[in-house]
Amino acid sequence: MKKERLIKEINSGIERIMAEGADFCDARYYTEDSSETLTLYDGNLESNETTFESGLGVRVLYKGAWGFAASSREVAPAVTFKNAFSNAKTASRLVTVPLKMDLNPPVRGKYFSPVVEDPLNIPLEAKLAFLEDLDKKLQGTHIEHRIIEINLQRMHNFYWNSEGSFIERKLINCFAGSTVMALDSDGKMQMRSKVLHTPGHGTRGWEMVTKPELWSGRAEGIKEELARLLEAPELDFGKRSVILLPGQGMLQVHETIGHPLELDRILGYELSYAGGSFVRLESIGQLRYGSEKLNVSAYGSIANSPGSFGFDDEGTPERDYLLIDKGILVNCLTSRAMISEVNQVAGRQVFDQSGGASRSTAFYRAPIDRMTNVSILPGNDGNLDRIISATEDGLVLDNPKSWSIGSNREHFHFSCEIAWEVKDGRITRVLKNPTYQGHTLEFYANLNAVGDSSTWVVEQVPNCGKGEPNQLMEIGHGVPVLRFENVITGERV
Amino acid sequence: MLDQKIPDTIIKVRDSAAKKGVKALFRMHREKSHLIRIGNNSVSLNTSEDLTRLDVEVIDGRREGSCTLLGDLEGPGIIENALQVAVTKAAVATPKVYEPIERVIENEIEEENQFDQAIEELDSGLKVDTYSAIMKSVGEDYNYSGSWSSGSTEIFLSGTANDKFAWRIGTDQQFNSVLKHPEEKWELADFQSGWQVGDVTAEATVEKYLDLIEVFKKPGIRVEPGRYTVLFGAQALAEILQMLIWTGLHGRHHEEKIGWMSEKKAGDTILSDKITIIDDPANLHTFSFGFDLNGLSRHTFPFIEEGVLKNLFYDLDTAGKYGKKPTPHSGSLSAVMRAGEGLTNPFEAARNMGRVLYIPALHYINIPNMSKGLFTGSSRFSAILLEDGEAAGPIFSTRITDTFQNVFSNVEILSRANLSANVSNTYGRRMPEAFAVPSYMISNEVKITDSAESFQ
Repeated sequence: MKKERLIKEINSGIERIMAEGADFCDARYYTEDSSETLTLYDGNLESNETTFESGLGVRVLYKGAWGFAASSREVAPAVTFKNAFSNAKTASRLVTVPLKMDLNPPVRGKYFSPVVEDPLNIPLEAKLAFLEDLDKKLQGTHIEHRIIEINLQRMHNFYWNSEGSFIERKLINCFAGSTVMALDSDGKMQMRSKVLHTPGHGTRGWEMVTKPELWSGRAEGIKEELARLLEAPELDFGKRSVILLPGQGMLQVHETIGHPLELDRILGYELSYAGGSFVRLESIGQLRYGSEKLNVSAYGSIANSPGSFGFDDEGTPERDYLLIDKGILVNCLTSRAMISEVNQVAGRQVFDQSGGASRSTAFYRAPIDRMTNVSILPGNDGNLDRIISATEDGLVLDNPKSWSIGSNREHFHFSCEIAWEVKDGRITRVLKNPTYQGHTLEFYANLNAVGDSSTWVVEQVPNCGKGEPNQLMEIGHGVPVLRFENVITGERV
Repeated sequence: MLDQKIPDTIIKVRDSAAKKGVKALFRMHREKSHLIRIGNNSVSLNTSEDLTRLDVEVIDGRREGSCTLLGDLEGPGIIENALQVAVTKAAVATPKVYEPIERVIENEIEEENQFDQAIEELDSGLKVDTYSAIMKSVGEDYNYSGSWSSGSTEIFLSGTANDKFAWRIGTDQQFNSVLKHPEEKWELADFQSGWQVGDVTAEATVEKYLDLIEVFKKPGIRVEPGRYTVLFGAQALAEILQMLIWTGLHGRHHEEKIGWMSEKKAGDTILSDKITIIDDPANLHTFSFGFDLNGLSRHTFPFIEEGVLKNLFYDLDTAGKYGKKPTPHSGSLSAVMRAGEGLTNPFEAARNMGRVLYIPALHYINIPNMSKGLFTGSSRFSAILLEDGEAAGPIFSTRITDTFQNVFSNVEILSRANLSANVSNTYGRRMPEAFAVPSYMISNEVKITDSAESFQ
């Protein structure tokens, strides 16, 4: 279908639905949602995949209930509008607190990710040559397996709503990682990896993937660290300090700050799948989430991140605001309907505006409250060396191997690839199979050192899972080096 | 059902490709999905999607390339374009050191034995009525959540290796309901699964809730770390089983010594002799697929029999790389864990066992150490401390961190009843998956490593 005709049909669809009594209606049309995945496993190209998605998603609010419909068939815009409206009408039969979209002025704008070289326009041969070169660098006599994976994304979509908003976005994401593996002295597999991060600034096209300092330049480093893991003793169970490098700190902030602060979780809309949150509405402005060293922002005006997207999927411009200020919870990750419900239930204005965190992974999924860039702000405790030198008994931990979190995010258990033991201010040896666990508020209360801006990088998350139907979302986390004391580490015998 | 135009076009493009010597598999996937979500006693989302995907996978000597389209496949030249993208990618791909295995449709097959048109067209009003009935019957003072996914999945496979095609259409539904006490914060849940109308009922959920609510009026109990006898419910068992299969029985993990069974070989005893796990696509507690997504015909396939390792499963890449025969396990597995001889009522089964933790479902299972078979996850819904089979009270969120070997070697009792446990997710495309598992399993010496006062 011609683009002009489609736009006309979408606009008339919105008008028709509103004329028939809907409270709000929006539509997202993706002309393109493409990605390319290349995986070299022991030098064999196991994935050489291009995907292309295109279609229309329509959301209708009717008498306080959402209906949504999507179709990949271009001939079907009118049917998609009809189905969404019909779904909303049925949903409205069971409503206790009617959802509302307080009237907003129309938003018109464009957002294009900052890019020099569109990664999907780079010839495949050039991309493979880059990966093959990196694969050679990962080879070594002690290396049993090598895995390199890149995932390159380009999305072009248009947004309309019944308030007159119209937004065009072109988003580019580049994700990459490399892993080396080998058997340790007990015959068990160990791994060490490096994932592409961003400095937070600059552009995020193919040029980012090829910058050695962001990823590929760590090939020798991860091989050497793996060699040390192979001979390393196992971490013993016990309480000690842990120093999280950004590769691990990003998981910590993601699971125990980001997810608990999603307002739909706090309100109980995720109970049947992802779980709830220990945070309550009355916690906002009151709850001591962590020590005074803990400052956390949403979005953070980070130019180069998968969590930077200009406008969310209900047309709200991305906002820069604090979630936690000197350890006190001050805000949440919010969308328009969720803040309206909170204000309605509380009988006062708990939130004055949406946090611009309503996001959808594809045209065929309805937006839900998601993380943007949830970042721990740099502190003033110096660089990694200085933090280590001020640590009596601890571990430096990097890169997640597993994560398991309580259903209200009140407790967690993480395992990591590697630990460096710290005794009396010095790294003494490498330890294998590190794990640590804790209870969220107690853990952050024990945050006693936050690295300066020299330690801060933006780690990329390509696959945050949430929602039903399930959605994978791209997120960024700016994280400095962090130290926590009195942490349970290792496994009980 | 799919408009015949798309399969016809696929066959035309396939024939043309075969004439040019192109080796390709075409996999069409159409879903008509519907999901209703409940939150705070309201419908929070009522959604339907009509999506058609096409995967084209091409082998060019030792090179491979693939293309997936989700869009309007009826447009002119769309399917041919997808083939060309895959052909072009394969032409410049890095060659593998091994010969890729061509995808061959083994048998011509058409399946619709698990298709109920009434599910494909299910009125979402019926779902609203079901949740409303649960709320009215159990009490509207509680906070209710849930989701109910239903729909149809249609798969059409055709490849250049021969003229055969494989086609299946089936329906499935996955229901869950959560009841939360608004002040005390404890949560009960119920899970139901099936493929036809009538498989999900409000009555089944109401009965379970009413049985448990009295227990949850007792104060919450915090379980201290240590070794406990644990009674796993069907949903918890299915979730652990899914992880056990992936980490222990995947040929890749075995060949490359990544998994916890990598030092074992067929014939070795690895778990309790009470444990038999097979893939049985004929089992009606599972979603029955007669072929896998690469066109291999599926049949009964034993993984573990009476604790003894029988077979591993191999994907095409692993089979090609290690000179093995690929097994028909791409897509939805029909894992069946054989039932035992235990009484049907789990509380009666635990009557003379002293202190037992009843954990019907686990939240967020993950694998801290795959080589060692170490998994972790925490209790959530409906978890209870039993004293000689009597409910002493609900337990707070309690973390298990233990090995598959320990939990499945120290099995005391397996229920004599098998249930269907739905383990599907809705990331990406619809692909229903359900396991047949005993309604409970009691294991001794299970390691509890943490707990939190989660009811506050």
